[in-house]
Order: sequence, then structure tokens, then C-alpha cells
Amino acid sequence: MSRVEIEKKIQSENDRLAQENRKVFSEAGVLVLNIISSPGSGKTTLLEATLDRLADKMNVVVIEGDVSTERDMDRVRAHGASGIQINTGGGCHLSAKMIGAVLGQLDLDSAELVFIENVGNLICPSTYDLGEDVRMVLLSTTEGDDKPMKYPSIFHEASLAVLNKTDLLPHLTYDVEKVEKEIRVLNPDSEILKLSAVTGEGMDAWIEWIMAKLREKKDTQT
Amino acid sequence: MHELSICQSMLKIVDSTMEQHEGAKLRKIFLDIGRGSTIEPVLLSEAFEVITAGGPYAGTELVINDIPISGRCRDCGRDFTYEELAVGCPNCGSTNIEITAGLELDIKALEVDD
Repeated sequence: MSRVEIEKKIQSENDRLAQENRKVFSEAGVLVLNIISSPGSGKTTLLEATLDRLADKMNVVVIEGDVSTERDMDRVRAHGASGIQINTGGGCHLSAKMIGAVLGQLDLDSAELVFIENVGNLICPSTYDLGEDVRMVLLSTTEGDDKPMKYPSIFHEASLAVLNKTDLLPHLTYDVEKVEKEIRVLNPDSEILKLSAVTGEGMDAWIEWIMAKLREKKDTQT
Repeated sequence: MHELSICQSMLKIVDSTMEQHEGAKLRKIFLDIGRGSTIEPVLLSEAFEVITAGGPYAGTELVINDIPISGRCRDCGRDFTYEELAVGCPNCGSTNIEITAGLELDIKALEVDD
């Protein structure tokens, strides 16, 4: 009987493929956001509202991850995005390999911004680096204010947390301060934005946040 | 729910290690799994049993080191458990906290019969 030391991250192969994706994105000069949330928090609605404000200024690519259907891709296309739908067929997350497989089908060279809409799930996608610049968690006021401590991994990993559906706050018992505190505890460096993709409240700050990240990305490349 | 894909990634690492030990029989796989890693040890063990059934790794034991989440205050240096963490540092109240353990998803070692 003998012991063979390994000392390796189980995700090391995914991380290696994510670095390859990152290189492709970086060479194309695009900013990439990986959006993770529960189903129904408003990822696609936020993308639609974002595209309405950005699509006349720049080319935006969207990679849609869903278990099945092209519905989300149809929605964002109607708002000016190009891109591709990945159906995971039951899989609960996108992986670096799935992203790498579709990169050749995307018009990255003429684009400035790429959104990856992950499969609606707060658990599994958090351990899969896809090669993005920003891992973003979207939560919504209708999900209840106890989510950060219940799903620590994604809030720890995400560098940006966006709280959606703020227009519904008057009708809910949702403690925004508590949520912000829990997010900060899990990731003191996390940025937090609050908005309503439906009424437009807070959307200007979100667009300004994207523009600032785009400028930051360009500055580091020149 | 992604225990199956994690199990497959783990087995790729096991395969490449076992290739260097030709003829050896795999007995145990030692893992570090943090409670904040999003992987449930029971589900991982079940997935492992299903995937390896009838193959060369059938009957191999997964030895899982279950690591609780813990944190340290970046302001006063106090260490504490996850339950204390929700409201900030129990000593000074700061939310400037670093998670120091509990996010591991690592394969540490194998035990083989030569």
C-alpha cells in the first residue's frame, strides 16, 4: 500500500480552458461579463434594457445558456445583440469547454462587449470560470433577503452584485441593508448596484459602470 | 447538482496519475471539500459509485475531508466561524472579512496497492 500525493484543484482543467478563452477574448479586445442568478431574477430583461441603451453605440455579443429552447436568444436578438444559444440539455451550468466550443461562431472582432447569461442557478455556475473579466451575481427583491449567506460561494466569487426589481420594494418586506451587509461580509471588495430593469431606475449607473469597465479594459491593453 | 461533472473532472486527474503507476490497484481517493464549495459530499460519493461501477475503480473509497467555512477579520485579526460571520466580526463589528477556509475543492492524494 502506498500513498501518491496529487495536491490539485479538481477544477484545474476547467480553469486551464477558461484561461484559453480569456486569451481569445483579450485578443479581440472585448469586455466579458458572466451573469449568474436564480431563474426569474430578470437576467434576460436586464439584458434587453441594457441593449436598448447600448446597441446603437457598440456591437454587443450575447452567449445564452439554458437547459433548453432558443427563447432567450430570440429576445436579445430583437434588441440588437448577435450571439449564440447554448442548450445544456439538463446541465445546470456552463463550463469553459462549452464556451470555447462556440467562440469561433461569434463576431468578437467587431464587438466591444460580451454578456454570458449562465443557466439560472446560484450554486453550480459559481465554481466554473468561463474566462470572463467580471463574474456578476444578479439577485432580485422578490427572492427574499436571505440569499447571500445561503449561497456563499457565488457571492464570494462575484466582483459585482446587482439587485434587480427595486421598483417592487414598497410591496415587499425586503431588507436591502441586511443584504448589502451579507454581500460585503462574503466579499468586502464586491461592488453593489441597485436597479429596476423594467422602470429604468438605476439603469444609468449600471450603464456608466459598464462604460467605466470598458475604458479600464482599453487602458490596460494599450 | 453538478457533482457528476465534478466527479468526471476528478476521474481525469485520477486516470492521468494512475497511468504512471501501471498495474497498481486504486484503493482510496483523498479529497478536501469545503462546505462553501457547492459540492455535497454524499451526492459526490453516489455519483462516484455510479460512474465507477463495473470498472477498474469500482469499490474505491472516497475519503472526504469536510472543511467548515471560517473567516478572519482584516481589521482586528480575529478568527471566527461561518455562523458568526453574517453580522460581521464578532469582536469589532467590521464587515472587512476574509474567508480563510471552506471553499476547497481539491484532490489531495491517492492510496494504491502496488
